[in-house]
Amino acid sequence: MGGKVTCTLGEIKNRADFIVYWGGNPAECHPRHFTKYTLTQKGKFVPNGRKDRTMVLVDIRETPSARAADIFLQIKPGKDFEILTTLRALVKGHRVNEASVAETGLSIEQLRDLADRMKQARFGVIFFGMGLSMTRGKHMNSAAVLMLAAELNAFTKFVTMPMRGHGNVTGSDMVMRWSTGYPFGVSLCRGYPRFNPGEFSTVDLLVRGDVDAALVLGADPGATMPQPGIDHLARIPTIVLDPKVTHTSRLARVHITTAATGISAPGTVYRMDEIPLPLRPALVSPYPTDEEVIRRIREAVAKKPAWAQRPAAMAPTN
Amino acid sequence: MLRITGGKVYDPANGIDGVVKDISIADGRIVAAVDGGRVIDARGMIVFPGGVDIHTHVAGAALNFARAMTPENHRQATAFLHTPERRAGLGGQTPTTFATGYLYAGMGYTTVVEAAVPILSAKHTHEELRDTPIVDKGCCVLMANNEIVLDLLEAGEIERAKEVVAWLIWAAKGYGVKAVNPGGVTAWKWGKDAKTLSEPVVGYSNVTPAKIIASLAHIVDQLGLPHPLHLHCNNLGVPGNVATTLETMKVLEGNRAHMAHLQFHSYGGADWHTMRSEAAAIAEYFNAHPNLTCDAGAILFGNAVTITADGPWQHLLHQLTGKKWGNLDVENETGCGIVPYTYKGSNLVNAVQWAVGLELLLLIDDPWRVFLTTDHPNGACFWRYPEIIHLLMHADVRRERVKKLPAKAQSRTTLGDLDREYSLLDIATITSAGPARALGLANKGRLGIGADADLAIYNEKPDGELLFRYPRYVIKGGEIVVEEGEIRKMSEGREFIVQPTYDGAIEEYLRPLFQQYYTMSFENYPVELERLEGADVRQLDGHG
Repeated sequence: MGGKVTCTLGEIKNRADFIVYWGGNPAECHPRHFTKYTLTQKGKFVPNGRKDRTMVLVDIRETPSARAADIFLQIKPGKDFEILTTLRALVKGHRVNEASVAETGLSIEQLRDLADRMKQARFGVIFFGMGLSMTRGKHMNSAAVLMLAAELNAFTKFVTMPMRGHGNVTGSDMVMRWSTGYPFGVSLCRGYPRFNPGEFSTVDLLVRGDVDAALVLGADPGATMPQPGIDHLARIPTIVLDPKVTHTSRLARVHITTAATGISAPGTVYRMDEIPLPLRPALVSPYPTDEEVIRRIREAVAKKPAWAQRPAAMAPTN
Repeated sequence: MLRITGGKVYDPANGIDGVVKDISIADGRIVAAVDGGRVIDARGMIVFPGGVDIHTHVAGAALNFARAMTPENHRQATAFLHTPERRAGLGGQTPTTFATGYLYAGMGYTTVVEAAVPILSAKHTHEELRDTPIVDKGCCVLMANNEIVLDLLEAGEIERAKEVVAWLIWAAKGYGVKAVNPGGVTAWKWGKDAKTLSEPVVGYSNVTPAKIIASLAHIVDQLGLPHPLHLHCNNLGVPGNVATTLETMKVLEGNRAHMAHLQFHSYGGADWHTMRSEAAAIAEYFNAHPNLTCDAGAILFGNAVTITADGPWQHLLHQLTGKKWGNLDVENETGCGIVPYTYKGSNLVNAVQWAVGLELLLLIDDPWRVFLTTDHPNGACFWRYPEIIHLLMHADVRRERVKKLPAKAQSRTTLGDLDREYSLLDIATITSAGPARALGLANKGRLGIGADADLAIYNEKPDGELLFRYPRYVIKGGEIVVEEGEIRKMSEGREFIVQPTYDGAIEEYLRPLFQQYYTMSFENYPVELERLEGADVRQLDGHG
C-alpha cells in the first residue's frame, strides 16, 4: 500500500468529466479552484465546460461548496475510512456488509451509484481536504483514498490530489525532499537527515519541550499549535521572520519584519500539484527579504568556531 | 596550476592507451606545460578523463516524487554527515541532490545528463541541478508526447513543429530532446498505450509513433543540436519487444539517434515465461548502422526504484508486482510513473535482463557507440557502475555468475559463451570519451590540450570493481575535488544549454494555444536564465 496517482491541474481542466471533493470546502477555502481548474473551465476534451462535468461533494455538513455540486453526500463524522473501504470493495465487485454501511450515513444504493459513476467516468479525480486527512483515521484515510484512485485505473483513468493550502507549504516540501530525502519531520541532530513524523515533527518537538530555540518562518504556530507547544515557544528564544506581527511574534524574543514574498520580494511558489511558479514583486519594500535575513544570520554563525568535532568521511557501503 | 606526473594515461579520443605522460593544468584547462603549482605524483596510478553519464535521473519532479515515496529506502542509505565543507545528505536509490554530486565525483564522474525533463516543471529540475555540486550538467527535454507538437504533426505542419521544438528547448533551458514511448504517454492520459509503431495514436488519425520518431529525429538534426534525438522506444520491458526496437531503428535511418537503455528493449519470447535475450539481433543491426549510439541501461540484482515518463508501463509493473505506485501526468506534455522494484537473481525475467545488459555491451563492437549506464535508478544505482566494469573486464567472473542463474535463464542467453574482455582503454571509452562525443561536448571526455581539466586518477590494481570504486584523486575544472577518498572541495558545476535559432513569431502562434490548454500564463512558462547557476549557453546556427 502506498504511492499516489495524480496529475497536474491542467489535466483536470482539459479532461476531467467526474470530479469529487471529499472533506473540503473549496468554495470558501480555495475560491478559484472551480473557475480556474475544475468546473467551469472549457477544456480540450470537455469543450462545454461545466455541462460536460459531474461534481460530487462528500462532507459531514452542507457547506457553501454543496451549491456547486451535482450530488452532495452527507456522511457521519469519522466514517470516511469505512466509506472509502466499502467503495474499494464495490469497485472490485466484492460483497459488502450492508448493516455496517448503515452506520456511515449513506445507503448502499448511494454508494453503489457513486462506485458505478466512478468506473464509468472517462477521466475522474478525487480532491481530498483536511476534513478527510486530519479527522479520525488520519493517514489511514489518506491511504484509503489514494488506494481507491489507484485501483480505479483498472477500469478507467482516475487520479487524486490533496487540497493543500497554507501559502507555500508544497514548496517547503519540495525543497526538503531534494535536500534531505524527506518532506517534513526531519531531524539533522546527528549531522544527517532522519525522518520520524510524531517524533521530529515541529508540533511534537514543541509539545515535548525538546527544543531550546526556534526560528519561525512563514508560519504562525502561536495561533495554531496546541497550548503546551505555544507555552514552550514563549519559554525559549523564539525568532520570527514575517511581514506582519503575528500571534507568534507577540510571544517571541525577536521579530524581524521582512518584505512580503510575491508582493515586494521575488521567489518561487509551488502550486498544490507541485508545479513551480515565479513570483515577481510589484512593489518595493524598505524591509529585507526572508532570504537576505537568513543569509546574514548564516554568515554570522559560520564565523563562530564549530561546536562539533569533524566527522570522518563516509563511503558508500551497500 | 597543477601537474600530474608519472601516471599511465588512458585517453581514447587521442589514441593514448596506457602511456606514461605528464598532464599540466591551468585555469581549469589542460595545457602544454605549467611553471610551478602543485605536483601530484601519479606513479603506479592510471589517469582517465572524468566520467560522463549520458543517461541518468538525478533531479526533477519525478525523482523528488520517488524520494517522498520511499522513506523506508532512505533508512538503509549511506548517510553523508554535515561538515564545514559539505552538506548533509543521503545516498541510496534516490540520493539527495548534494549526495548525488558527492557520489558521482567520488566515483570519478564529472558530467551528468538528466534524461527526462518536462518543460512545465523544468524550473524545478534546474533548482535541483543547482543544488547538485561539483559535476557539470545538462538536460534532455521531453517532446514525444507534447500535444502542441503532435497536433502540428497531425496537420502536416512539420516546419512549424520545428520552430515550436526550438522554442521549447530554449524555454526549458535544455540541452537535448528526449522522446519517451512516443504517443504512448499521450494515450495513457486516457488509460491506453501505443503498442505498435504504425497505428495512429489515441486521439489522432495521422500521427503514429513511427511518424513522431522520424519527425523529431529529423527536426533535431535540422536544428543542429549537438546531441541527437534521445529515444526511449515503445514497449519498454515487454517480452518480444525486439521487433518494435528493430522497426524503430529502421525508422531512424537517415537521421542520428541515441537509443536509451537498450537493455530494456532487447527481449524475445511471447510472455514472461518464454522471455529470452535478443541482444544478438539488436547488436547485429546496430553494428551495421553508424547513425546510432546507445547506452546499456544494464540491471544489477538488488533494490531499485523504477522512474520513467512511461506511465502505462508503470501501471503494468504495479499490477504485476503489487508494489506501491506513483503516477504524475503532466498537462499536454508528458507523464511519469514510479514503482519501487527488487531485481532477483533467482527470477527468470530478472536473470535474463541482467544478461541482456552485459550482452549488449559485449556484442556491440564499437565502444564509441555503446555507453555504460543503468538508467539510474531504474536498473541499478549509478554508484554501482564499478560492479559492471568488473564484469566487463573479466570473462571468468561473468561465467561464474551465469552458472548461478536459474537453468532456464541460462538457456535464454549467450552471455556465458562470450569471451570478450574490456581493456582499460575500452572502459575509458564507454564511461567518458564515447558519451562525451555522442553529447557533442567537445571539451569533455578527452585529455588533450584545451580540454576541460576533468580527470579521475585510480590506483592500478587488478580488481576492476575496487579499482573504479575509489579513485585516489578526482579533478574537476582543474580543482582537486576528491583526494584520498574524501570530498575536499565543494565546487559548483556548470549547466550546458543550447539556444536553437527560431523565428520569434512562433510565440504569437503558441500564446493563444497556451492560454487555452495550460493553467499557467505564457510568460511564466519559460525558465528564466537567471535561475541557472553557471549556465554555459551554446548558440546554434542551424535555422529553426
